[in-house]
Amino acid sequence: MSTPAIFAAVTGFDPLTGGEFLVAQNIAFAIMAITMLVSAVRMVTTGNVVHAALYLVIVLAGAAGIFILLGAEFVGVTQVLVYIGAIVVLFLFGIMLTKGSFGADDGVGGERRGIAAMVGALVLAVMAAALLDTFRDAELSRAEPSLTADVADLIFSRYIVPFEAISVLLLAALIGAIVVARGD
Amino acid sequence: MIAALTTPYVAWWALVPLITFAVAGFLLLTVASLVRRLPAVLAPAWTAVAGLGVLLYLVPMWSRVGRDGADSFLAGTVGVDRSSIFVTGILAVAVIAAALISRDYLPREDLPGVELYVLLLMSAAGGVVMASANDLIVLFLGLEILSIAVYVLAALHLRRIESQEAALKYFLLGAFSSAFLLYGIALVYGATGSTNMVRISAFLAQNVLVDDAMLLAGLGLLLVGLGFKVAVVPFHAWTPDVYQGAPTPVVAWMAAGVKAAGFAALMRVFVLTLGTYVSDWRPAFQVIAAATVLAGAVVAVVQTDVKRMLAYSSIVHAGFILVGLQAATDRGNSSVLAYLAVYAFLTVGSFAVVTVVSGTGDASHGLDAYRGMGRRHPALAGVFTVLLLGQAGIPFTGGFVVKLGVLAAAVDGGAYWLAGVAMLAAAVAAFVYLRLLVAMYLEEVPSGTETSGAVPLGALVVAVASAVIVLVVGLVPGPLLDLARDAVPVLVAG
Repeated sequence: MSTPAIFAAVTGFDPLTGGEFLVAQNIAFAIMAITMLVSAVRMVTTGNVVHAALYLVIVLAGAAGIFILLGAEFVGVTQVLVYIGAIVVLFLFGIMLTKGSFGADDGVGGERRGIAAMVGALVLAVMAAALLDTFRDAELSRAEPSLTADVADLIFSRYIVPFEAISVLLLAALIGAIVVARGD
Repeated sequence: MIAALTTPYVAWWALVPLITFAVAGFLLLTVASLVRRLPAVLAPAWTAVAGLGVLLYLVPMWSRVGRDGADSFLAGTVGVDRSSIFVTGILAVAVIAAALISRDYLPREDLPGVELYVLLLMSAAGGVVMASANDLIVLFLGLEILSIAVYVLAALHLRRIESQEAALKYFLLGAFSSAFLLYGIALVYGATGSTNMVRISAFLAQNVLVDDAMLLAGLGLLLVGLGFKVAVVPFHAWTPDVYQGAPTPVVAWMAAGVKAAGFAALMRVFVLTLGTYVSDWRPAFQVIAAATVLAGAVVAVVQTDVKRMLAYSSIVHAGFILVGLQAATDRGNSSVLAYLAVYAFLTVGSFAVVTVVSGTGDASHGLDAYRGMGRRHPALAGVFTVLLLGQAGIPFTGGFVVKLGVLAAAVDGGAYWLAGVAMLAAAVAAFVYLRLLVAMYLEEVPSGTETSGAVPLGALVVAVASAVIVLVVGLVPGPLLDLARDAVPVLVAG
């Protein structure tokens, strides 16, 4: 959470647009951000792998909510569909298919905790530096929300060939998976 | 309120080859899953007809582009020029050949079905996308369609562990190289602000980048990603293992089709898009080309497995094509296209013969299987002789004509040392083909070798037709060279 955002959330005064009030959005953002933060911390500290995956769902749902708050409804819905709907379910399948029991596990964390913390801090530092460096003085544009209809228009006009190509790609992968898995 | 959708200009006539390949694949898949007992000949015939249809359709397309000039559409993401038509033609030929070889291969190996043909057609569709992409992302998608289909094709021989191993190796390394390519695209986008090839080349023509480190890094990564697909040293390590393990008809497609699409992509990305940076990438291309021809030729000599031998020889060929490509001139481009065409016939013909000789189980690829072939199968041995002489680049074969073309392009560009290295490598590589010829004609049939029966029709047709075309091109090179000269690659803004 950047400083102006915290400032805006607390005071209801948005320094970027010169005094315009966005109280509802700021409160919603604060709630989601805090929920995400707490869930993210719980996700890495919980001893239960399945619980960790479920905490991840909350974090990803919060990200989707923030996208919607920013007027990027399509990205928000995609976030829900792809990350929560597909990837976390895949995680859960993976956990359940590979582990006999999915209760508390002492193996989580342990001696690698220091390295993990270092990697996490490094990622945070790089991302924070990149974001601050890029957007420090940038005026946030108060553009119209990007409508899903516009995205659809683009997909079916300008990007029709890449779109269809991806469909063929997925079909080829599907056939391939069946051919390889079918055996004799 | 919903506004009417404004559709961009689409040159549907230029998309016909792509749509034909893709739809032919879908139809075959649908019909095969609905009809229980499909005549075995239907799938290969269907695939070959699709390839033939595309090939015939390319004729009016060729003259239309000649009349109206190159075109690009869909907001400049896809383009059509004569070089993309030429490469599509090579892909169609490779599809037809692979389908004909597979017709007898699948029943012989007792392998099920139509998936090979479906994946082959999809792979060809991906190749067409690559050859006519005007956008790096579209190019990447084409490459992925092509590659994923080929990974699975390599694994198609379900009972040969080598086939599975080959597929896994190819898949892992291929996925890695795709990541390199994608990273390269991202860096080029970062440096130029676009993934559209036309806009990238326009940007680089108008602006001088003060700090071009990011662009150069992107360029290098693009070279790694595409270099893997066309198997040049040092990204060639997968080739012998995969060629050895994969089903032989699939190898024919891999060697002819995948390489043609890969070099078309290299030409579009480097010569056309990044042409202004030619002085930066040319040294890298020259070093890679020299390393490829030398390493391929030297290592080919010590191989005892014929499929591995041909794999290394395909690496040598890739090096030769790169010798033409690094010139980055019209002459170089046309020499590359001509080489790709003749090379496609040489490889599909050779692998057709290898398919026949390998026998049931796709196992006998040692030199023993070829000993005394001149007496057992005079016709097949004769055809193979022509193809091997063509690969060696002996005068009066198509191989000589196109090798001369790339060397001339290199000398034209002042790269004398590279031409010299390539000629030396060609001489070394000739030993490999000579060794096979000696085995076929001068060595005795080892006792205990079964005398195999009739040669299957599909493979025979491919082998004979390829040999005839290689000879005809060698004796009358004019028409092919004219076609290749007219196949100018251009980027047109949408």
